[in-house]
Amino acid sequence: MLEQLIELMNRLNVNMLNWLPEAASTYAPAIDEVFYIIYIITGLAFLLVTVVMFWCLLRFKARPGRRARYSHGNVALELIWTIVPTIVFLGIFFYSQSTWSIIKYPSEFPESSVQVRVVAKQFAWEFHYPGPDGEFDTEDDKMFDGDMVVPVNQVVGLTLRGSDVIHSFFVPEFRLKQDILPRRDIPAWFNATKTGRFETPCAELCGPGHSGMKGWVNVYSDAEYQAWVAEQWPAPVDTGVEEMGQEDMPQGGVDPMDQEDSGQADTAQ
Amino acid sequence: MSESSAATHAGHHREGFVKHYFFSLDHKMIGRQFLFTGLFMLVIGGLLAMMVRWQLGYPEEPLPFMGGFSEDFWDGESWWAQTAPFGIVTSEFYNTLFTMHATIMIFFVVMPIMIGGFGNFLVPICIGAKDMAFPTLNMLSYWTFVPGVLLMLLSFFVPGGAAGGGWTSYAPLAAVPDYAGVEGHWGVTLWCISLFIIGFSSLMGSINYITTIINMRAPGMRLFRMPLTIWSLFIVAILLLLALPVLTSALAMMVFDRLFGTNFFIPDGGGEPLLWQHLFWFFGHPEVYVLVLPAMGVTSDVLSTFARKPIFGYRAMVYSMCAIAFLSWVVWGHHMFQSGMDPVLGTAFTLTTMLIAVPSAIKTFNWLGTLWGSSIRFTTAMWFALGFVSLFTIGGLSGIFMASTPVDIFIHDTYYIVAHIHYVVAGIIFGIFAGLYFWFPKMFGRMMSETLGKLHFLLTFVFFNLTFFPMHFLGVGGHMRRIYNPEQYEFLQPWQEMNTFITMMALCLGASQIFFAINFIGSLIWGRRAEDNPWEANTLEWDAPSPPPHGNFLEDPVVYRGAYEYSSPEVEEDWLPQSVYLEPAVAGEEGHD
Amino acid sequence: MAEDMSATVTLEPALEEVESEVRPQGPPPFFPEPPGGSGGDDRFGDDDDHAGPPLSNAYLGLLIFLGAETMFFAGLIGSFLVFRVAHEVWPPAMLPRLPVGVTGVNTLILLASALTMRRAKIAIRSGGQRELVRMLLVTAGLGITFLLVQGYEWLRLLQYGLTLASGVYGATFYVLVGCHAVHVLGAVIWLVSVLWWAARRRYTARGSAGVALCAMYWYYVVALWPILYGLVYLY
Repeated sequence: MLEQLIELMNRLNVNMLNWLPEAASTYAPAIDEVFYIIYIITGLAFLLVTVVMFWCLLRFKARPGRRARYSHGNVALELIWTIVPTIVFLGIFFYSQSTWSIIKYPSEFPESSVQVRVVAKQFAWEFHYPGPDGEFDTEDDKMFDGDMVVPVNQVVGLTLRGSDVIHSFFVPEFRLKQDILPRRDIPAWFNATKTGRFETPCAELCGPGHSGMKGWVNVYSDAEYQAWVAEQWPAPVDTGVEEMGQEDMPQGGVDPMDQEDSGQADTAQ
Repeated sequence: MSESSAATHAGHHREGFVKHYFFSLDHKMIGRQFLFTGLFMLVIGGLLAMMVRWQLGYPEEPLPFMGGFSEDFWDGESWWAQTAPFGIVTSEFYNTLFTMHATIMIFFVVMPIMIGGFGNFLVPICIGAKDMAFPTLNMLSYWTFVPGVLLMLLSFFVPGGAAGGGWTSYAPLAAVPDYAGVEGHWGVTLWCISLFIIGFSSLMGSINYITTIINMRAPGMRLFRMPLTIWSLFIVAILLLLALPVLTSALAMMVFDRLFGTNFFIPDGGGEPLLWQHLFWFFGHPEVYVLVLPAMGVTSDVLSTFARKPIFGYRAMVYSMCAIAFLSWVVWGHHMFQSGMDPVLGTAFTLTTMLIAVPSAIKTFNWLGTLWGSSIRFTTAMWFALGFVSLFTIGGLSGIFMASTPVDIFIHDTYYIVAHIHYVVAGIIFGIFAGLYFWFPKMFGRMMSETLGKLHFLLTFVFFNLTFFPMHFLGVGGHMRRIYNPEQYEFLQPWQEMNTFITMMALCLGASQIFFAINFIGSLIWGRRAEDNPWEANTLEWDAPSPPPHGNFLEDPVVYRGAYEYSSPEVEEDWLPQSVYLEPAVAGEEGHD
Repeated sequence: MAEDMSATVTLEPALEEVESEVRPQGPPPFFPEPPGGSGGDDRFGDDDDHAGPPLSNAYLGLLIFLGAETMFFAGLIGSFLVFRVAHEVWPPAMLPRLPVGVTGVNTLILLASALTMRRAKIAIRSGGQRELVRMLLVTAGLGITFLLVQGYEWLRLLQYGLTLASGVYGATFYVLVGCHAVHVLGAVIWLVSVLWWAARRRYTARGSAGVALCAMYWYYVVALWPILYGLVYLY
């Protein structure tokens, strides 16, 4: 149904949402769907109002000898256009609500396999990785300036941390946006469905360098990602780790770096 | 004592020039003062917008007309050479431009013209009073407003320039001078003090409007016989009265944070940046309706007058305005969906936001109902009122996108929001123009040119839509608002042509206003003398001479019916003024209300 | 303020003139014409009062002003509560306690001033101009005492190291209590001007609106204090 309507809008060349950046996360299509539904509803309402108005302007132009209808209103009509919008708006509310809660309620976040801490400061992004131990603020943490690397089709858990003013982490292709407050950690997540290099501008005014404060999210295929991790955290010489890593991987544990170790071992051999 | 009585009794004696034009106690003169100040600030706010658009359309290219300055000038120490070297807008100056554009348009254009100008001029005269309840307070209200204006304009010239933290001045960017990245830190402080001052001005106005409307209506002027413009101003006065003090308290805290080392909004000292946002939007959302309700009221009056038909569902119109006013207190969180506020609160605020859309829908449909079966006279005022209805429809419908939390994740802080606020707030300018073309004869005793007026409408309407509608596309494309140079982003490269197009259209929109300026100033001097009731309208202000003298009415009016008795079967003409007495034998029972 | 009240005084006779002129002209059509200008379905119903609006302009204006004042303090109190609720330990460690006892006595002093204000109002209603002056003097004295005690306590707290910059604790304390003190100061200034006029026998039993308005503002400022005391000092 929705697809046919979109098809129709495309054919009529009135599909504003064609301008949307490509959808590259698991929830991007869900957001786009709400977008489309509201677009169709409001589009119809706009059409209705415009057509009626133009009809009135053409039909009811003042002419000598004709008098306007003397009427103070019509209770039945007014009830209709009170109740129908109320139902429509409540419908949109309930429809929006489920998508919203999946994306933003921390209690409904999916389990993440990669953890990244995003630190925003005037006027740059820092991406912190916990390293092989899976713990932040330890020796093997690594920080990347402006470039984040994540694997495709895996849930990435973000901890957004501010250091000075308010920033906003925005990845247009993922339909992800979340303000970042200084001295506070705000959780967020995404699951990229396409590999590629996506821009992450700051979306909240943060000072004179706000414009141009941007970074990149590099979505790698699994193999590429593991190669990258192996490069960043070269495996210890002890081969025992490699085997353990192989065993841990299928369980989808929180510690992604073990997988990377094994990956690196594979490519190295 | 003598001043007050002079204001209340029809002008027996001539006042001096200064007393008449500057320190007048006459509500109509004070209204005109607010109107002229607002129009002056409209020019300034418009020019700021043009510079913003120039930078977006032609990033980091010199502004037009900069070739006239010599090399020496740019090497010099002058303010302009420092602010925009070689005519190129710097990113600091750019932030200042859009911050001050929004601040000026909201607080120094729409509010003074709609509430200060139309409010002062119309409230007493439309309810049949000789003047406001407190004429002296009314004069003080204007003369408190003026220092606020001057301070805001002065702030451009302090070291570091005017405020650049957005019109919302989110903390800590605005609360900590060091984050602004410019030398000197007076911009935001002066911004706060200026808004603090006009808060008092607005408070005095609100006290006056509410007291006047409750206590000073003419005999027979029931609340439910008041024109909708007066209803809207009444509700707006209540909203302002209760909303602005909250902003005032937040501004006080902001100034303390900036100057005296407190940490209300600064997290490093234990403060809470979200508190500023909550306080700001708790004021800010009622403020949005403060801006739009009078435009709705004016539109209702103009539509009904030129449709020659009673307003459709008068009571529903009043009740929906009351509902909007009431609900506007519980929707502020929809500005903060992505702010880091508890997402459960986001859900709650979506619900209230969806509910507040209902009364707006009712009003739109009732306007259509007014047009249905009418007999429309296409005057300039009518065109602008119709323009407001169509722009408000677009602005209202686009608001539903951002009310839906998931969609808001994407379009928050993009040009979609910019498009929305301009369709609503800049659409209000259409309400202002409708009111100006409608009441100009009453305000100044002369008619405006209808030909120039219609030309002005046509150009403004076309270029308005060509400017702001494409911004929806930019927003859908992910184009962030408040960015200095879109070319810095790879994903925005394809949008640069559209940005340039919008800039050209915006310049045309600005240029179209020249026709208004010619018409307005020309009509003030050479306009045809206006009759008392040139539009054959019903409300009390048309009973008074054009322009009305001190004390407004030659004969004290008595009100016998509602404001919208057009095409009534009781009389031969298609209008029936509120103050005309009909013999009971002729009068039908349905004829009043 | 005084000028606004005078405006009211001049306006009311003007309204009465409206009625007397209008009445003989023509009978109202199908409803009795209430002079106040309101009809049967008037929600703000003043149809039982045929002498004019139930609240004079000045009285109504002041009430509306107090509504705005309430929202101003609501903003400050709301901010205070946000911080108070977020902190388990209040006051935060290493910061001085507030002088609960002394301020408690001070609270009683301010409350007493409301009583003397009331006696002043009652006195002038029966024309007791000397009693009015005496009671206004006592009221002003109590108000000034309150301010002096507050000022002294502030000085001591500053010596103990509680400043505006002492985290949100110091900031909310000084701003909230300070805003109230400014209001008390304003009320005292108004009161002294009323006193000045009272000493010149400006008020009479029938013309005591100036006293009543000042009293209303005084009550408001006094009633606000126990709320602030309870929140800032006790909670």
